[in-house]
Amino acid sequence: MAAESRPRKLPPSDEAARRSESAPPPPVASAAPPAPTERPPASARPPLPFLLDFFPLEGPEHTRLSAFYDELRRRRFTTTRCSGCGQLHWPPRVACPACHSESLGWVELPTTGRIYAFSAVLAGAPLGLEGDVPFAVGLVDLDGVPLRIFGRIDGRPWPELHVGDPVRVVPYDLPDGRAFYRFEVVP
Amino acid sequence: MSARQVAIVAGVTTAFGVRPTTWSEMAQEVGAALFREEPELRSEDVDSLFVGAAEPERFAFQSHVAPLAAEQMGLRPDRILQRTELACASGQSAIRSAYAAIAAGLSDIAVAVGIEKMNLPSMAEANASMGCVMDRAWDGPHGATAPPFFAMVAQRHMLEHGTTEEQLAAVSAKNHRFANTNPTSQFYSKVFSREKLARLPLIAPPLRLGDCSSMTDGAAAVVLTADENVRRFTETPAWIRGTGQYSHFHNLAHAGSLTEWPGLTRAARGALGQAGIGIGDIDVAELHDCFTISEIVEYEALGLCPPGRGGAFVEEGRSDVGGDIVVNPRGGLLGCGHPLGATGIAQAVEIFGQLGQRVPAARQAPHAEWGLVHNLSGSANVHSVMVYQGGGT
Repeated sequence: MAAESRPRKLPPSDEAARRSESAPPPPVASAAPPAPTERPPASARPPLPFLLDFFPLEGPEHTRLSAFYDELRRRRFTTTRCSGCGQLHWPPRVACPACHSESLGWVELPTTGRIYAFSAVLAGAPLGLEGDVPFAVGLVDLDGVPLRIFGRIDGRPWPELHVGDPVRVVPYDLPDGRAFYRFEVVP
Repeated sequence: MSARQVAIVAGVTTAFGVRPTTWSEMAQEVGAALFREEPELRSEDVDSLFVGAAEPERFAFQSHVAPLAAEQMGLRPDRILQRTELACASGQSAIRSAYAAIAAGLSDIAVAVGIEKMNLPSMAEANASMGCVMDRAWDGPHGATAPPFFAMVAQRHMLEHGTTEEQLAAVSAKNHRFANTNPTSQFYSKVFSREKLARLPLIAPPLRLGDCSSMTDGAAAVVLTADENVRRFTETPAWIRGTGQYSHFHNLAHAGSLTEWPGLTRAARGALGQAGIGIGDIDVAELHDCFTISEIVEYEALGLCPPGRGGAFVEEGRSDVGGDIVVNPRGGLLGCGHPLGATGIAQAVEIFGQLGQRVPAARQAPHAEWGLVHNLSGSANVHSVMVYQGGGT
């Protein structure tokens, strides 16, 4: 099951921030995360212009979900859970689609699962990924939570993959300091 | 319903394919073709224009395309002008919007046009544009585009129901054979036997090149009007009798079962229910065969055959001329190509021709009275269905 020992508030929306200007400061999370790890130098530029690069802008100046990417850099795989109705989300969100609450907290996800379906990109890869062809992708049922997540599957050539194979989540760093995740077949 | 009765009264399709022409030039071309096809139509008649265009910002580096299309086509709409975007269903969205406007009395004569320019000097940039249809931030970085998604649908269908590669090829062979009756199709005069299809390279296993629709440039347009205006243009209109739609996810995590498409079942129930008929009444259908497996799952979701039996349904010829229903007589997306915004309009042009008994005999559904058009968008997360009836009011 998902570990829920480190609940942290999402950063507020601009509107919520304005509304709370005169209110007392928000409660400090009981288990504050460690300081962000140092990023590679700014000279490591993104490989593509933003409109051609699928990797998202991850910093807090761009997204209220920057904690997700900070946690990935610490090799933790997280998502949001609604504090109102308890729904576990994927991908992480800033408002709950079930009860529309904006009170969400971060929870850690299991990092093991099994392949539900897979294929491989042998041609027609998007710009920036052509050099990776051939590569496998698939939908993975995470262990112990009702989440089936799409992702790249590394670690074994696609002709040797099978539905049901165990995989694990592997966070990785991009050359410019951003982070993302993949699956890797468990040998 | 007390709303006005709306019909398609004219329609044209440009050549589909890898074309040495721009987005704007195709808008001019389809406009000229429409006025040539329907001499009764005058520019000043057209009070509204709906432009189906999925990704002109990416493929043609152009937004604000509705007034651009109007200018290129020689139209000056004075009631409703808008673009409709719903990825692969952008064209049907244009028709549905025109239908809604006319039925509500907000338009009297509308044109719905679909235009897409997809072939770029760099295929990798074009493929990246296709990737934007998915959830870009979460599924996109993994390389999610349509082929691997529909390949997973095929893999699960084979696993759960024993569907075979030969059954997938049967869809492609049928639709390519029909495309050979359609000179506007991308693969006109190209022969795709099942044996040849089995030798084509894998794109996203188990899907081969012949299981996938193409990157295509093309445009199509229809004229819609209501009630007493209809007879001014034609004695054989295609009356819009029902529409339905259902959207239940976007991120691939929420696709649920890959082999059952309840969204299509629900959209079809809405459209058929409005028309007051059942799926068994449909004589001819344009189904969204972006991939061979799509058409097989669509037979099942529409109730044309039991769940899991879609492969046998095509293999036994039940979706061919002489079978239970004629599916994709125009050649489908597999045979015609798939210029995203134009596809839904071109499908409607085919149904208009089928219900008017105007298509070549080799693909004409006998005694066709009822037609159905289906589009899915993205990773089959949205389904859009329209039901048409030929003949009198």
